[in-house]
Amino acid sequence: MILTIIIVLGILMLVAAFLALYLKDLLSAIIAAGAISLMASVIYIILAAPDVAMTEAAIGSGLTTIVFLYALHLVKKEQGEKND
Amino acid sequence: MIKRFFSLFFVILLIFVFMPLVKDIKPLSELGVTSQKYAKDGAKELGAANLVTSVVVTYRGLDTLGEVTVLFITTAGIGFLLRKRSTGKNKKRKASEILKSGTSFLLPLIVLFGVYIFTHGHLTPGGGFQGGVVIASAIVLLLLSDINLHTDHNILNWLESLSGGFYIILGLLGLLLAGGFLDNRFLPLGKFGEIFSAGAIPIIYSLIGLKVGAELVGIISKLGREE
Amino acid sequence: MLIAGAIISLVGAIFLFLGALGVLRMPDLYNRMQAGTKATTLGSILFMLGLGLGYYNQICICKIILLLLFVIFTNPISSHALARAGHFFGIRLIKRSVLDALHDAEKESEL
Repeated sequence: MILTIIIVLGILMLVAAFLALYLKDLLSAIIAAGAISLMASVIYIILAAPDVAMTEAAIGSGLTTIVFLYALHLVKKEQGEKND
Repeated sequence: MIKRFFSLFFVILLIFVFMPLVKDIKPLSELGVTSQKYAKDGAKELGAANLVTSVVVTYRGLDTLGEVTVLFITTAGIGFLLRKRSTGKNKKRKASEILKSGTSFLLPLIVLFGVYIFTHGHLTPGGGFQGGVVIASAIVLLLLSDINLHTDHNILNWLESLSGGFYIILGLLGLLLAGGFLDNRFLPLGKFGEIFSAGAIPIIYSLIGLKVGAELVGIISKLGREE
Repeated sequence: MLIAGAIISLVGAIFLFLGALGVLRMPDLYNRMQAGTKATTLGSILFMLGLGLGYYNQICICKIILLLLFVIFTNPISSHALARAGHFFGIRLIKRSVLDALHDAEKESEL
C-alpha cells in the first residue's frame, strides 16, 4: 500500500518535471517546479524523515517558488521597458 | 539534426558509463559502520532527543558550516547583482484592508513559530534552516501587504555577521574545552528531552537559525524592493 | 469517542470532496475559488476536529486547536488576496452573475 503511494507520487513528480521543462508559459513552469518539491516532501514524510520533509516543503516549494516569481516579474518588467 | 544525434550519442554513452554502477547496487538492509555508531551512541553521548539534529549540528557540524557559508555567498552575490538599480516609479497596487490587518495579526505568530522551530531543534523535527525559512516567509507576507516597515540592511548584516562569528566561537570553544570542533559537550548535557539540554546544540542551532533567517530576509527584501 | 470522531472526520472528508468537485465544475475563477476555499476550510476544520476527538488526549487536542486557528486565519486571507489579484488582472465574472461589489466600489471612488 505504502509502496503504491510512493510509486504514484514518483510518477506524478516525473509528470510535473516534464511539465516544468516543456510548458511554454514560464509562470506555469515555476508552479510545476514547486509541485515537484511538494510531492517530494510527502514522500519524505512517508519514509519517516520529517526533518528533510520540513526543509523540502519550506525551501523547495515555498521560498524557491517565491524567489523565482520575483525574478520572473523583474525580467518581464525589464522586457516591457525595452519594448516601449 | 546533428545536435539531436549528439545528444542521443551522449545519453547512450552515459548509460554505458553508469550501467556497472547500477548493476552492483543492493538495497541497504543494515546501517553502515558510521551510521550504526551514530544511531547507537548518539542520543547517549550528546543528549539530544532528535538524532538528526545531533548528526547535523555536532557530528557533521563542519558540513553545516559549509552550507551556511554557501548561503552567505549567495546572499552576497544577489546583493552585488541587484545593487545599483534605482527604485524609480512605484505604481504598485495598494494592498487591501483585509490583507493588512491579517498581516499585522499573523506576522508575530509566524515569527514566533519560526523561533519555536529553531529553539526546539534538538527535541522535535526541524532546526535552524527550517526556522530561518519560516521567518523569511513572514517577511514575504510583509512585502505583499506593503506595510511600510523598512527592513534595515545594516541591522540584518550585523545580525548575520554576529551570529556567524558566535557560531565559529562556539565551535572553537568545543575544540578547546571538549572533544573537537563544534563539540557540544562543554556545556552540561542536562536532562534528556528538556529544552535546556543537549549542551550547546540549542545555542548553535539558534545561531544558525538567526543567520539563515537574516540572509533569506535580506535576499527577499532586496528582490521585493526592486519593484 | 472513536466513532464520533470518525463520523466528524467523514463529514469533513465529504466537504473536502465537494470542494474538489466544485473546483472542477464551477464556471468562472471566482466561483471556483469560493468552492476551493470555503468548502476546504470547513472540511479541514471538521477533519482535524474528528481526529482530535478520536485520539483524545490533552496535548493532541491543544495542538489541533492551534492548527485550526491557523487554518481559520490564513485560508480566507490568502484566497481573498488571490481573488483580488484576479480581479485587478482583468478576469471577468461569468455573464450570469448579478453583483460585482468591488467593481461598483471602484466606479464610485472614481466619480
